[in-house]
Parts: sequence; structure tokens; C-alpha cells
Amino acid sequence: MSPPSAPPSPTLNPYVADPGWHGYIVWYFFLGGIAAGAYVMAALADLFGTAADRRAVRPAYYLAFPLVNVCGILLILDLNRPERFWHMLIQSRTGWPMFKWWSPISVGSWGLTLFGGFSLASFLGVLAEDGRFGLRRFSDLAARLRTGWTGRLFALGGSLSAFFLGSYTGVLLGATNQPIWADTTWIGALFLASAASTGVAAMILADRLVGGEVDHRALESLERLDSYAIALELILLATLALSLGELGALAFGRWPGWLVPWVVVPFGLVLPLLLRRLPGRGAAVLAALFVLAGGFVLRYAFVYLPTAFYLVPGHHG
Amino acid sequence: MPEPVGFYTDTTVCIGCKACEVACHQWNALPARNGGQVPLSGQSYDNTTRFSDVDWRHVRFIEQFPEDRNGGRWLMMSDVCKHCVNAPCLEVCPTGSIVRTEFDTVYIQEPVCNGCRDCIAACPFGVIHISAEKHIAQKCTFCYDRLQVGLPPACAQACPTRSIQFGPIDELKQRAAERVAQLQAQGQTDAYLYGADDSILGGLNSFYLLLDRPEVYGLPSAVQARLPSRSVWPASLKAIGASLAVALGAFLSFGRRRDAVKATEGHTRSP
Repeated sequence: MSPPSAPPSPTLNPYVADPGWHGYIVWYFFLGGIAAGAYVMAALADLFGTAADRRAVRPAYYLAFPLVNVCGILLILDLNRPERFWHMLIQSRTGWPMFKWWSPISVGSWGLTLFGGFSLASFLGVLAEDGRFGLRRFSDLAARLRTGWTGRLFALGGSLSAFFLGSYTGVLLGATNQPIWADTTWIGALFLASAASTGVAAMILADRLVGGEVDHRALESLERLDSYAIALELILLATLALSLGELGALAFGRWPGWLVPWVVVPFGLVLPLLLRRLPGRGAAVLAALFVLAGGFVLRYAFVYLPTAFYLVPGHHG
Repeated sequence: MPEPVGFYTDTTVCIGCKACEVACHQWNALPARNGGQVPLSGQSYDNTTRFSDVDWRHVRFIEQFPEDRNGGRWLMMSDVCKHCVNAPCLEVCPTGSIVRTEFDTVYIQEPVCNGCRDCIAACPFGVIHISAEKHIAQKCTFCYDRLQVGLPPACAQACPTRSIQFGPIDELKQRAAERVAQLQAQGQTDAYLYGADDSILGGLNSFYLLLDRPEVYGLPSAVQARLPSRSVWPASLKAIGASLAVALGAFLSFGRRRDAVKATEGHTRSP
């Protein structure tokens, strides 16, 4: 046989095996991003916004907790031994907490748990404020806790945990030896910007689906914020491509990487920015749908990127 | 405390007999891949082709011949987990399943592993795979059970040409350096050691004497084999920067509107 072909770049490592982080992980990254992005915006609206803004972001608190539960289920299903999922948090031999600050999955497991706590509290809070499921008697308490210093502290803690959830997945991909993932340190920042834009898009869509109850000026704030997040995402995507140097053309020039320049950028980022300039609800809904679809394709492309570079075909973990 | 031990593999005396693969399968009760229904690979004598959940040793066959088959050479190498000094798999393992043993080898504790596969993503050598039978990560154990009772690993014991040598790591390095010097004195100037110094992941407790560049053997260079944690802080700082940019956008977007609302309310209240 002829010697194995040389790797396409001095730094890219094509000799690794495929960890098989595929379907469930793509959905986890996507839904976790929406939960984190929506929650971040809601918490920031609680911190900086008006009463109308705070009303406008309530769908985020309805979305985040159910989504983070779905995320947990997806992660458990992705394990080859799902019944041992708790080994991520508890040392199976001693019963002590399991925590390795230098392992992104270990920190991520705790981060996800912490975010689950914040999103549960916020979920119960909006249920009480809206008087659903017999929680009306707690509505005053919930409203009080959402304002004042307790509310600010809670919003700060919640937004920090959501920022973490929105970005650690990208940091995790970099902390490997997989082709492309290990060749840039910008994936976490990119995923965070994408989480913000898809989170806001999900909130806008949720509002439209329930009949557009939100004050139109508050909605304009959200849409402006989404446009800002999309612009940030475009800048970070360009920075990431540049950070790869000669590998950038290789990464985004073949399947599935080409989905990024040919699908995500034109349809998931640029088109929604243009649609936002059009009047009417239809354009806003369409823009939100394109942002969400773009966010999913972005996660898909990045999760599968290394598979284009393995030297041993079918080298699955 | 036992001495750190390792493998020194002298590829110049490997004859590709695969006794190491067979011994590994026998001692560790590893079944044949795909129930023994393995198609011929067409890649020289290599039908193992790669590491797998049941192939913890892999003898590579590299034919370096010109088109006219006039001259040329065979390169053969028995590959295995490198039991790295700074092991990426051990570093990322979130459950604490992967540990360093008292012999300085890297070992997967089967009852602890939950099959998250982060170790597979982290290993730069493509060594670790998920067992189709046990559904956990699997790789060479360095025959930990044999080491505990003073026996050498099965592969090293079975190797008929002493291509795979087992022993205290310092002793092996000295022996390997002498062998390189001997080969070079004989005119084999391309002989060198891969993984014996600390340039690759702080050193490999399974290191090799090679006659060609690492990629010819399917091995990553020192630049390609990286410690996962190297990227955590740079990536985290960039993510924090992006978070601050999003927070600034929210502050400007919501804050500007709040100021406008306050101004309007003030204007309405003024006489």
C-alpha cells in the first residue's frame, strides 16, 4: 500500500477517531442555544428594560425551562450508558461531587444544572405572575422578587449562567484534538452570538404565535437586538474563518462546511437582516424563521465539520 | 511505589507477524471484529486497518516501493495506546473514569465510564473506541492485571523479535537511544525516536523508533497532538468578550428605550 496521505495542514490532526457526537448533540446545541439566548435577553431586559420590555420577554421564561429539560434528555440519550448520567455530577465510588474545572464537559454539566435551577425559578415565577396552575396566590411574591435588588441579583446570576450555557458548547469542541474544532478558539464566541440571535427569534415567533400581545415598541427593541446579534455573529464568523488561516478554505469549501458560507450566511443571517427592513408582521415572522433555521444549520455544520478530514473512513468511536 | 513502565517499539525489527495482536486478543478475551466476518482491506497485509473496541493493538504495514518495484522497503509497526504523560483522554474525562495507575499507565475504570465519548474526541492517536458489547470506552489497559502480579504485558511477552520491549521507562529510553546510535553508525541515518522526549504531550510511555516521518506511520506530529486544556482559557475569554458585546447591545437597546419612556413620562407630567 502507499503511505497514508499527508494531512492538509501542519496543525490539523486527521488521525483521530470520530466521537460520534451527531444527531442528539446537534439538537442539544441548537435548543440549548435558544434556551440560553432567550433567557439572557429576558434577564437583561429585567435589568435594563422598561415595564413593557419585561412583559415582552416573558415568553423567554416560558421557553427556557422546558427547552433545558429537553436538552438534559438529549444529553442522557447520547450517552452510551444513559443510566450512568449522574456520574457527570457525583463520583460513583465515593458519592462526593464530581467536578473538574479543566474539563469543559464536567463544568458544562454543572453549568447546565445551575441554569436548570434559574430557569425553573423563572418559569414558576411567570406562571405565578400569570396566575396559571393555581399559582395565582404567589403572584405578588413573584412580582416582588422580579423587581428590586433581589430581582436584579437573580437576573444577573441567571444571565451569567445563560451566557455560560450559550457558549461552553463551542469551548468544549475546541478542547479536543478533532480537525477544525481544535484549530480555532472562536467557536464558543460564535455559538454565543448565534444563541442570542436564535433566542430572540424564538421569542418574537412565540409572541406572534400567541397573537402578538407584546407592545410594538418593545418588540422593536427585541428586533433591533436580534439584528445586532446577527451582525455580531457575522463578524465572529469572519474572524473564525480568518483564525483558521489556510484551513479556512478547506473547512468551508467541502461538505458539510460549505453549508456555512452558502446557507447560513445568506439565508440565516443576511436575509433576516433584510427582511427586518420590510414592514408587516409576515416579514418579521419570516425573518425569525430564517434565523432559527440558520442557527440549526450552523450547529449541524460545525458538529459534523471534522468528519470531512478523517484519514480512516468510517473510523467511528 | 512501582517504577513508571512503558513500551519501546523498535520498528526496524518488526516482522509483521501480528503475534502481539493475537496475544492482546487472547489475554483480554477480545472477540473478533464483526463476528469474524472481516472483509479483506486491500491494504497490504493489514486487515485490522485501525484501532477498534476489540483491536487494542494494530500492526501497520507500509509498502514503500517505486512503480517498477525495483528497490524499496517495507515499514512495519505495532501501534498501541501511547499512555501519554499528559494524557488528553484523562484530562477531559468528566466522570473520573480514566485514571493514571501506580505504574504511570492510563487506565479506563469500566464501572465508572458512562460512554460520553469525550476521550475519543480528545485522543490525538485515534486509540479509544466504544465497546459494542459493554457500551463504554475501551483501549489498551497496558495489561494492568498482569502488571499487578509482576508479569509483562501479553503483547511484549509474545513479540518474537523483541520489537516490543517492556520495562522501566528510563531504562527503555536509554536502550532506545543506544539503538538509534547503533543504526546511525551503520548508515541508517533516518532512524529517530518518536515520543521518547517530552515534545509530544509531555512524553509517550509507549514510544517508537521510526525510519520515516510520523505521518507515514499514521502518527500525528508534536504540533498536531495537543493537550485539550490549551484552548479552554483562550476560547473562554473570547466567549466572555462576545457575552459582553451582547450585554452591551441589550443595554443600549433596552436602556435607550427606557430613557425615552422616562423622558416621555416626565414631559407628560410637567405642567
